[in-house]
Amino acid sequence: MREYWKAFVDFFVSLKLTVVLLALSIVLVFWATLAQVRLGVWGVQEEFFRTFFVLARIPGTEVPVPVFPGGYFIGTLLLINLVAAHIYRFQFTWRKAGIQLVHAGLILLLVGELLTSLWQEEYQMRLDEGQTRNYSESYRDNELAIVDTSNPKYDEVTAIPDQLLKREGEIQDPKLPFRVVIHRYYPNAALQMRNRVPNAPPSPATTGIGTQLVVTPLPLTYKQNERNLAAAVIELIGPEGSLGTWLVSTQLAMPQTIDYAGRTWALTLRFARNYKPFSLTLLKFRHDVYPGTNIPKNFSSQIRLTTPGDHNDREVLIYMNHPLRYAGLTFYQAGYDGDHTTVLQVVHNPSWLLPYLSCALITLGLLLQFGVSLTKFIARRRSAA
Amino acid sequence: MRLRRAIPAALTIILLLSACREAKVAHYRVPKEKPPTLPPAMAAGSGMADASVPTAQGAGLTWTAPAHWTAKPASAMRRGSYDVKGADGAVADMSITAFPGDVGGELANINRWRGQLALPPIGDGDLPQVTTTVKDGPLTFVLVDFDSPQGASPERILGAFTSYDGNTWFFKLKGPAPLVEHEKPAFLTFLQTVKAP
Repeated sequence: MREYWKAFVDFFVSLKLTVVLLALSIVLVFWATLAQVRLGVWGVQEEFFRTFFVLARIPGTEVPVPVFPGGYFIGTLLLINLVAAHIYRFQFTWRKAGIQLVHAGLILLLVGELLTSLWQEEYQMRLDEGQTRNYSESYRDNELAIVDTSNPKYDEVTAIPDQLLKREGEIQDPKLPFRVVIHRYYPNAALQMRNRVPNAPPSPATTGIGTQLVVTPLPLTYKQNERNLAAAVIELIGPEGSLGTWLVSTQLAMPQTIDYAGRTWALTLRFARNYKPFSLTLLKFRHDVYPGTNIPKNFSSQIRLTTPGDHNDREVLIYMNHPLRYAGLTFYQAGYDGDHTTVLQVVHNPSWLLPYLSCALITLGLLLQFGVSLTKFIARRRSAA
Repeated sequence: MRLRRAIPAALTIILLLSACREAKVAHYRVPKEKPPTLPPAMAAGSGMADASVPTAQGAGLTWTAPAHWTAKPASAMRRGSYDVKGADGAVADMSITAFPGDVGGELANINRWRGQLALPPIGDGDLPQVTTTVKDGPLTFVLVDFDSPQGASPERILGAFTSYDGNTWFFKLKGPAPLVEHEKPAFLTFLQTVKAP
């Protein structure tokens, strides 16, 4: 038994494992770089790095098989390898203090990346000049919002995330007086007016604008300048039977409404929203180009930040490399659309400090290590002289 | 020794946290949102009403509708929508839509409108006979005017489209032929008010 344990420990603390894992990660990065042409940055992250295995389909089928270790697999083993070696060989001496610090920095770097991939949330906020918003929207995630608009002062929102919509089942929510049945969910689809599509199949929708539309599923796009536009066929069922079937899509900006149980409900499939306890107003967007060209020189957004009760009401200027940091969120100037619309990237990353700390630790460790070696070297030369 | 136990435990917790992100239905209360900007209802007595309609891709074209056109709520497909009423109770429908790209090109768009009046499609060579080009500042409109075949209630389409900021904007007045004929001057005046911001 002891021998097994020793073999187990030897495997995880061995330098050979480190070398093999580093070699695998080089191959993974190289392969992912080539695949980026086809999949884009987001697709590569999902298929190569934020996964335990890189999957490939068996030709002619949709059956996925693992063909190479993914980022999580290599990263986790590297972390275990590093921590195990650290524990197993830990000896505190000034001679080794530098190396220990470098390793601690590396461990922190790996843990930081793991936490970032688990906790980081990225949204975007589009603002036209003069527009105020208190929410940001996801790039990729969608939600079905069923909003009770009966109260004149506020809206009661029930938001069903797309992870649940993809399962295409039935959702019974205590806040809703009806069941929501998701018949079909299309992660990316095109909509066309029915009168433009000859021989279109009958619409699955029985009410709303969906009756006039034809939905065509499209393959997922991973291109950076394209977005997947989801659509779904949903049916609401009350105690007395079906209330109707709707086609909802992120392409349909106007909500579809239904009156039921004395209340009015609005249905929208939209990019997942993240509401904030404060609001931003775009006062002025500036977009300067180099004279005589269309090359952007500078773009900046003058924003008014307001919290309820006027606890905070101030103007801020967000521009390249000068984000607004507020309430644990970072607002970067990410893009623009025309001369009067800004696009801000909104990032929530509780572990954003870890990479900085780990770099500081590694630098300190290297300085200490080389410092100790240099001191020794000088002392030896002196004694030799 | 404590540290040696604590580190694997911490790693296990981190990995377990990753499994705790189960999707859930969310509930929250938000202040009433302003409805999407629609052409405001015509104020009684005002000569013309401004209707500035931003597109999904940002600020779009603006226009000023004649006072006797009645604004309707814009639908998911429409940027602007009006009822144009005649003296005899007849109603024509004025729609303003915008779609990315050229939506199939000039010929396809014209044939789509012809199809709505049960007219046969035309070819490229016929375009100069059925279109008029009007330039108004940075915008160039292609104008068409089609009558449906004579029937019990002949219909007519007065349409114009223009490219702006990568989108094609369509302005279409469709309704009973006599009413559309009567509204033609108002439609042409209206087109002159369409401006890029």
